[in-house]
Amino acid sequence: MFEAQEINAEHKDLIHDVAYDYYGERMATCSSDQYVKVWDQNSEGKWILTSSWKAHSGSVWKVTWAHPEFGQVLATCSFDRTAAVWEELVGETPCPAERGNRHWVRRTNLVDSRTSVTDVKFGPKTQGLQLATCSADGVIRIYEAPDVMNLSQWTLQHEVQCKLSCSCLSWNPSLSKNHPLMLAVGSDDTNPANGGKVFIYEYSDNIRRWMKTETINSITDPVHDISFSPNLGRSFHLLAVATKDVRIISLTPIPDNASLQSGLSKLEIQTSAQFDDHGCTVWRVCWNITGTILASSGDDGCVRMFKMNYINSWKPVAVLKGDGSHISSETQRSSISSAAGLPTPPVSQTARYIKLGTIAQSREVPWH
Amino acid sequence: MGTFSVIQEGPVNALALNRDNTQVAIGGRNVFKVYSIEEDKFKEIYNLRSSKHLNLSFSCNDISWSLIDDNYLATAATNGHVCVWNLTKMGKAMQEQDYQEHKRTVNKVNFHSSEPNRLISGSQDGTMKYFDIRGKTSVATFVSNTESVRDVQFSPHMPHMFAAVSENGSVQLWDVRRPDKCQQQFTAHSGPVFACDWHPEMTWLATASRDKTIKVWDLTSKPTLEYTIHTIASIGHVKWRPQRKYHIASCALVVDCSINIWDVRRPFIPFAAFNEHKDVATGVAWRGDPQVFLSTSRDCTLLQHAFRDASRPASKANPQGMSLNNTGEVLYACRVPANTNLSKMSGLIRKYSTSTMNNSSDQFHLASSVMHHFQTTLSQEPKCFYSLALNYVLSGRSLTEMCEHNATVAKEHGKSYIATVWRIVKTMYGEEYIQNSFNSHGCKNNEDTVSHTNIPAGNLALASLDHSTDNERQSRGGDTPAAQCSGGDDETETEDQVDHGLLYNNGFTSYSNFRLGLPRGDFYFGDNELDIELDGLNTVADFKSSFRNSQQLGEQQDWTLPNEAFNIRHEIQNHSPPPEQFPNQNSPDINDDAPIAVEDSAAQGVLTVSNIPERCVWDPSSIVISALKYHAMLGDVQTAACMLLVMGDQRRLLTGLDEATQEHWLLGYIELLGRYRLWNIAAQVIKLSWLPNVTQLNQQSTRINTNCGKCSKPLQRAGWLCDRCHTSEYALCSVCHQVVKGLYAWCQGCSHGGHLAHMMKWMSLNKTCPTGCGHSCEYS
Repeated sequence: MFEAQEINAEHKDLIHDVAYDYYGERMATCSSDQYVKVWDQNSEGKWILTSSWKAHSGSVWKVTWAHPEFGQVLATCSFDRTAAVWEELVGETPCPAERGNRHWVRRTNLVDSRTSVTDVKFGPKTQGLQLATCSADGVIRIYEAPDVMNLSQWTLQHEVQCKLSCSCLSWNPSLSKNHPLMLAVGSDDTNPANGGKVFIYEYSDNIRRWMKTETINSITDPVHDISFSPNLGRSFHLLAVATKDVRIISLTPIPDNASLQSGLSKLEIQTSAQFDDHGCTVWRVCWNITGTILASSGDDGCVRMFKMNYINSWKPVAVLKGDGSHISSETQRSSISSAAGLPTPPVSQTARYIKLGTIAQSREVPWH
Repeated sequence: MGTFSVIQEGPVNALALNRDNTQVAIGGRNVFKVYSIEEDKFKEIYNLRSSKHLNLSFSCNDISWSLIDDNYLATAATNGHVCVWNLTKMGKAMQEQDYQEHKRTVNKVNFHSSEPNRLISGSQDGTMKYFDIRGKTSVATFVSNTESVRDVQFSPHMPHMFAAVSENGSVQLWDVRRPDKCQQQFTAHSGPVFACDWHPEMTWLATASRDKTIKVWDLTSKPTLEYTIHTIASIGHVKWRPQRKYHIASCALVVDCSINIWDVRRPFIPFAAFNEHKDVATGVAWRGDPQVFLSTSRDCTLLQHAFRDASRPASKANPQGMSLNNTGEVLYACRVPANTNLSKMSGLIRKYSTSTMNNSSDQFHLASSVMHHFQTTLSQEPKCFYSLALNYVLSGRSLTEMCEHNATVAKEHGKSYIATVWRIVKTMYGEEYIQNSFNSHGCKNNEDTVSHTNIPAGNLALASLDHSTDNERQSRGGDTPAAQCSGGDDETETEDQVDHGLLYNNGFTSYSNFRLGLPRGDFYFGDNELDIELDGLNTVADFKSSFRNSQQLGEQQDWTLPNEAFNIRHEIQNHSPPPEQFPNQNSPDINDDAPIAVEDSAAQGVLTVSNIPERCVWDPSSIVISALKYHAMLGDVQTAACMLLVMGDQRRLLTGLDEATQEHWLLGYIELLGRYRLWNIAAQVIKLSWLPNVTQLNQQSTRINTNCGKCSKPLQRAGWLCDRCHTSEYALCSVCHQVVKGLYAWCQGCSHGGHLAHMMKWMSLNKTCPTGCGHSCEYS
């Protein structure tokens, strides 16, 4: 398990996003070097680069997988003001010897934005193929492929103006029919005077429009990442926010008559937890598939994991060092600041992580 | 010095600063002015278009300001004229020279930086002209042999050298003394080159092209490409930043209105960007100071930019990526800290004064990421989910058995709290409980069931209610055999009990002990077991009817039931449709029956138990619901969904649980199962589901299109008969040439296939189609 496995990711600039596919078996990376790479694990668990291509003419900010029901499909967004949808073709390559048996083709290029497209996410599978993008000038766009078999045809369904520059977005993946389609958008606007930096939009079936339903005013610092927890059976939603610290916001729908009429739900917003463990800017937040563990990463170069013990009680459970130099699991360190203020019992089981390998990126620095 | 601007009458094409950077000349189609630059504003000193004698010579493509004599300006006019302006003169005399030598638009003019009076021009007609502005005609003409020259620039390093770039993508280096032949020529870009700029210190030439790249060439000896910057749009202008060796400013010709400053060593993302312009910028001029520059734009403005007002795209960029997968593994990519880079480099290049290296702009280009893949050693949760999903029994046995089994499974996985919930469900809704509650009055309980007597006596009414519903469920089970896992037509729960009784006797001795301790009601089942084996289908009907009768009669008459069961069996043999086959019609009856049973028992209970009237119906559903909701809230939708499934029709008693929540849980569980590729279990859940939105999941996308294996024509009819070939022989198994009954596997590429086993065997050894059609078949 400790055998050193060093693979050069060979991205020539910063890696901005890594994404597991739906089954957690493939990986896509994207970088400022304008390339997107797709990796597969071989039988020994080693990551093998299967595809690499120049996807954009600017930094590629995000890469995201579609549900496998729609095929092997990726979406990317870039500084070059476009978002693109890619599909993997297996076999039937004109020159199989050269490129292996698979390659990715651009199915569409979404060019509506006039500024950098900062995030792109596929909507819940139940909605068919929907794609949301947000851009630095604060426009959220919802695209739809009316025919899921034809990925080259996307129509711009909605354009929602958000008054601040958008940096990240997240679909609410809830499967409940009680929950309307919901999007959360974060802004990296640096001026605290501009108010809350997280906005909740809901789709109203009655008027067929996306409406801003809430602004989370407790967060006035720039938001770098935002992620709805998978909601497999909860009546409320959990939203993780990466800002100067890690926040977990719970959104509880309040049933009332007005919301029944508008088709939009009124939400009660509470901060479930707030962690300053990174002690610096937090860049990413990510949930496990059941929404029980939250991972965050920050400028301290660590991944920190938090686990929910019982209602509104979150506790740090593990720290992974990004340079792989030292890995500690923390059990007793209690830096929790739970909003509920409940005492936290020691967790019976802590996840211990070991480093499997390093994908180092030794960029050759040109020097003169 | 801050950012400020002045608005013009029309788009501005070019600008030029004077020698000491205090004045700026701007020109456009209908703009031609000189401004002095003050602390916070531009002050107009000349408007050269105020002349009464306006002509096309006043429309500028480019402006150059003599760096020797501050009074001389040169302009490139759209009509092919090159004009020289003397700012000390007035009126028409200002236009000191008007060279009408170029046949087409002049794109660029450039004063020599050290030789006074020397001027060069480049034109759309493909020629360059060298002027001494004291003379009336050009001194030399250089023919580029290209379509058009877009930019000409004197080299600051070699006094006689100038560079010219042209629309065919080539760069030419000329010596002004050798107009016959260019010194060097090379193809720099795959599209038109629009601009070039000499590095102030190095012998580098930057070229900008429509191919969306800026290239830096080292021209010390042979031209070598040093850097390539990829941009998002065609680049119209480039200008090196003074005192910053690696920085260069660029503005796009289209699309991108911002002016970007790049570090050539990091060619993918601008070091700084200035977004003040509303339209594309047409020119950039540094004021000698790396912190300040001026720009003109098609949006009719002249702007001074201060570097402190720049936006830094790289600082907004997310330097980290992270992803979790379903087995708890973590991928994490983060920026290599700058000091790490430093230490790496200091190993290579001995020492660097850290003071300069700490400067953020010096570290800007040191951008690289490391990526790690972490795997948990104790990724309990996902494994546990997977194992529980495989081992839970969701249908095909009695509620009690399923609960007990699942509780055992949960306990084996260390989930004792989930096991407890299973046992609670068993206790509340299981058959044993119901019988025990009857028996608690009439006979003694065994040690295993003692705990059940602790349930408030008020359960009696509930129990009968439960029992009736349970009975209905059983009858339903008989009616819809498809709903049962093991699937025999005449299968009932009683039969199942036979099987599982054996199973438990083998595997779970403790459980069989428990069953031995079952009260009398179970003996009754036991009696029937023999009959079931003999009588098959009919037994089902009379078992159920007898059972129903037993309920209606109440617990006091239980002893008579076995006899009745036998009697009724023969009667019902003659009635072909037993009434239980219409559960929906029956259910109200049963519900009606239930209160009767309550009344009966109550009436009879008065004799023995004093306080029965005070007992109210205790509904355990609220507790069960909150337990399920709690698990769902914890992210353990598996427990919630499985319990709902196992409870079968008993879940009707969970009146407090709305259908939307039930649907949410089931869909959530199916989603999770999909993540782990547990399709069989997901299909089972869908099949067992009672909610239309869930059951229809496996009704979607069920259409399969088939093609004829010979002519590839879609098969229109049912079956494998091709309308064109008039035969179905190509639908035979391509390996054994037999008709395929059951599962037919075929390649969607060539439409050939056959028995699954045969195809698997063939494809494990071969890559191409067994028919020899040459297709590399894909089975995914």
